[in-house]
Amino acid sequence: MFEQIVNGIVLGSMYSLIAIGYTLVFGLLDKLNMAHGEVFVAGGFVGVFVLANDLPLWVAFLVAALIGGLLGLLIEFVSFRKFKTQDAQLTAALSTVALGMVMTDLIQKVWGTEPVPLKISPSVYTSGFDFFGAKVTYVQLSILFISIILMYLLTIMVQKTKIGRFMRAVSENTVSSSLLGINAARVIQVTFFISSVLAAIAGIMFALRTGVASSTVALTFALKALAIMTIGGLGDLRGALYVGLGVGVVEALAFHVGFGSIADLLVWILLIVTLIFKPAGLFTKKSQVEIRV
Amino acid sequence: MTSAYIVLTCINILLAWSVYIIMLTGQVSIGNSAFMAIGAYVSGVLTVKFDFPLVAALMMGVIVSTMAGALIGFPALRLKGVYLIMVTIGIAASVETLIQNIPYVGGVGGFGGMFGTTVTLSVICVIIVCLILLWISRTPLQRILEAIREDERVAASMGINVTYVKVCAFAIGAGIAALAGGLYAHYMTYIYPENFGIWASIQMLLYVILGGTNNLWGPAFGAVLMTLLPEYIRFLDEWRVTVFGVLIVVLLLFRPEGLLSFRTVTARIRNGRVSKPAEGKGDQDGRA
Repeated sequence: MFEQIVNGIVLGSMYSLIAIGYTLVFGLLDKLNMAHGEVFVAGGFVGVFVLANDLPLWVAFLVAALIGGLLGLLIEFVSFRKFKTQDAQLTAALSTVALGMVMTDLIQKVWGTEPVPLKISPSVYTSGFDFFGAKVTYVQLSILFISIILMYLLTIMVQKTKIGRFMRAVSENTVSSSLLGINAARVIQVTFFISSVLAAIAGIMFALRTGVASSTVALTFALKALAIMTIGGLGDLRGALYVGLGVGVVEALAFHVGFGSIADLLVWILLIVTLIFKPAGLFTKKSQVEIRV
Repeated sequence: MTSAYIVLTCINILLAWSVYIIMLTGQVSIGNSAFMAIGAYVSGVLTVKFDFPLVAALMMGVIVSTMAGALIGFPALRLKGVYLIMVTIGIAASVETLIQNIPYVGGVGGFGGMFGTTVTLSVICVIIVCLILLWISRTPLQRILEAIREDERVAASMGINVTYVKVCAFAIGAGIAALAGGLYAHYMTYIYPENFGIWASIQMLLYVILGGTNNLWGPAFGAVLMTLLPEYIRFLDEWRVTVFGVLIVVLLLFRPEGLLSFRTVTARIRNGRVSKPAEGKGDQDGRA
């Protein structure tokens, strides 16, 4: 039972990481990037590739982050550069769907459609320690640790640094912010880069957790992250974190009790109910609602 | 083999129109696969387990789905923009998961035994729906729908019952999707819940956006293109999916308003080549 909760928190922290990447692009910039799940998948396969060449794990993380970020820049350039108006956002979103299709296909060309195991010693998965009677492996612990650090850094970045202020300014009004001397195109690029880096790191951590990289989970994860992000409130980093953790725990518990297939339904029903009764997100305060809606 | 292409093209044209009629009011639905699933499963159960004739079963599917569309549409259409998109994605995902957990219709294993969709039947269905849509486009209803799409507040202030019209459009869209679903079920003879996942909804939306959203023929053209194009590039063999994806990206880049978007072009020229007609509106509705 307790072990399942720990499991759920680890799963949830990965959900949060993807959802937070999403909320940067979708919540702040209003751009729906449907290829986000493919970046997540690509991160896992970069991990496979690097580990297969007998390089250490931290190199894998670094390369995955870099390639993920570059993919983000590519997505921004191909799918979003031309579609700037609000009406064109749907076209842009569909263009990222097509781009994601190409990315998945290319990955499957190289590694096939079956899940690919990571070349890593199996002792990594068994070594761990007892924590109040629950076995916690070091892999789980480091996933949780990395997620928390990344989310903390991101929150600091958005709220305290110059680039974060630029991001919020661009999200408020692109035209005015560029009149004030902000290079809006560059800020959007940076946002895409960071968002995709987070997705790629989540991807490699997911591959580490399960021991295999799978090319078929892109849409599932992208949609779940989308749901988590919306329940937490668009552009609300904290909301995405809480909801992600909650969903992870609920899912792990549901699998434990044997209602695995119903767990998916819960997320979507929660999404629909939240949107109908509190469309600005569960954790948004009243004053923020008025600004947002 | 030709008959297979004709039937699938007809089904996809119907699906494209089911998204198009909702989009006429400015709403975007990524949940039409749910209504397609309702149509497919209701008509399938009726023909297989209750020995209904095919046409009656199809009509029952359409009726059930239209009612479901009206019921779901009423609360859902209070939301706008990205929020409505999210709710419709949620509906599609929930219906798929729900069907997977109903043993009566086979759950994950799928449901089979239907048959009877012919080329004639599917072409007749397309013609009927086409006539209805053509009729709508010549009545004041078309202007009402367009008024709501352009500006809901102005439409409401002119005495249009915005909610009623939006729910109606949503329900009609759900009905058309159910018709396509019924035809699909009786053509494939065996259906799985994952046939009606979000991917199906995304494809329908792609037909419409690719073909053009501002007249009846755009979505139909998009559907025909997207159904037949993969067959024409079959010679590319293993690079088929990649080339197909790249083609979609390129088409969207060069005709962002859709391949058959006549009305926008003329409107632009008449307004003295205003390059971005949607800019002002976008800022206003941005967050909505």
